[in-house]
Amino acid sequence: MTPLEQIIFLLKAVPITLAISFLSFLLGLGLGILFAFMRIYGSTPLRYFSDSYEKFFRSVPVLAVMLLLYFGVGPYIQIFKDPFFTSVISLGIVSGANQSQIFRSAIGSVGRSQMLAAISLGLTELKAMRYVILPQALFLAVPGLGSEIALLIKDSAYSFIIGVIELMKHTDILRASQRSLVLPYIASAIIYVAMTFPLATYLDKWGSRKKKELGL
Amino acid sequence: MWFLLDYSMFLINGFLITVEVTLIGVGLGLILGILAALGDIYGGKIIKIIVNVYVEFFRGSPLIVQLFIFYFTVPYITGLRMDVMMTAILTLALNSGAYQKGYLKGAMEAVFKDQLMAAISLGLPMWKIFLYVVVPQALRIVIPAWSNELASMGKSTTALIVIGVREFLNTGISITAQTFRPLETYAFITIVYFIWIYSMLKALDMLYNRIKIPGLEPVI
Repeated sequence: MTPLEQIIFLLKAVPITLAISFLSFLLGLGLGILFAFMRIYGSTPLRYFSDSYEKFFRSVPVLAVMLLLYFGVGPYIQIFKDPFFTSVISLGIVSGANQSQIFRSAIGSVGRSQMLAAISLGLTELKAMRYVILPQALFLAVPGLGSEIALLIKDSAYSFIIGVIELMKHTDILRASQRSLVLPYIASAIIYVAMTFPLATYLDKWGSRKKKELGL
Repeated sequence: MWFLLDYSMFLINGFLITVEVTLIGVGLGLILGILAALGDIYGGKIIKIIVNVYVEFFRGSPLIVQLFIFYFTVPYITGLRMDVMMTAILTLALNSGAYQKGYLKGAMEAVFKDQLMAAISLGLPMWKIFLYVVVPQALRIVIPAWSNELASMGKSTTALIVIGVREFLNTGISITAQTFRPLETYAFITIVYFIWIYSMLKALDMLYNRIKIPGLEPVI
């Protein structure tokens, strides 16, 4: 294989890496919003549950969760027999804890006073959340969510260990088949940087501009 | 779960390697981070570009790729042979330094604005300003961000299994291979990781609350 062919071979795996990161991001987004709400507006047991979920999955390595689900739970539950879904789910639940914290701080910085103002105008608490707090909180959460996607793209490399054929696996295949130690790793590192760098930088800038516009 | 008792020495060894690698990696990363942050704030154009390329490379790519690069590519190009632990610590330090540069730069800039002027007008030389004014305060401001870094480094050390370091998760893989009981083994390992990292976070939190500077909040 010529160097160009090798790079094309690496690029072929990019959609799978992106699919893992994106699907796990969506799962984490759902869980994150759910747990953030439970933490802020839930009853005491719900709040306690959400709090311990967040604390637990923020302190546990993704790879350990992945191995636990794939090898430990896999024999009993059908979905964890598939490495792709296992990695999506384990990245998702770990990301859910991170995103819950992102949303909590975003909702927190919109402020209690706006909620009270909305209620005094006659909106129900749910409507105030939907029309007043969330639209602003989502803007505030954007930079954090951007770096969360970047983190997921990087962490999706762990799924190579349980055997998902993604970018890292293609790199490994190239290393083995071409007996070349330089090009595959450098090229895949550059591909990863190219995927994560724009996300982190531009969303961050966009977020702080939006924040100024909203006057928060 | 009691079969794990037979492997207790093995597990303790692995856990100690994980802790050792984490602490040394973050410690060396702190030095690298301070240097990189200073280079980015004070340095000329070329130093700034070098620092930023370094930071973006190590923050933008997965730790696994970096480990492979330092395990395979770097020895192949330079001809230097390093043992696995050295490779692991070097990579973790470089990785952690890239992350800590961001936190430290933010903290240093928080101190800089007014106090730098005051210190200059008092006639302190630059290195003294740095040593007595900026760093002591920056290190205190940076603790919350820094504890996150310590936690994420503790979690990232699991990536070391790809180059064959016998750290905690790797002992779990070996035990599973011998006992065929992955559920208990990995559950145990996950819980130990949780206890370790959570107590580390809590300890740093307490430290921060004790020594924080009122009114001088982190800007990260």
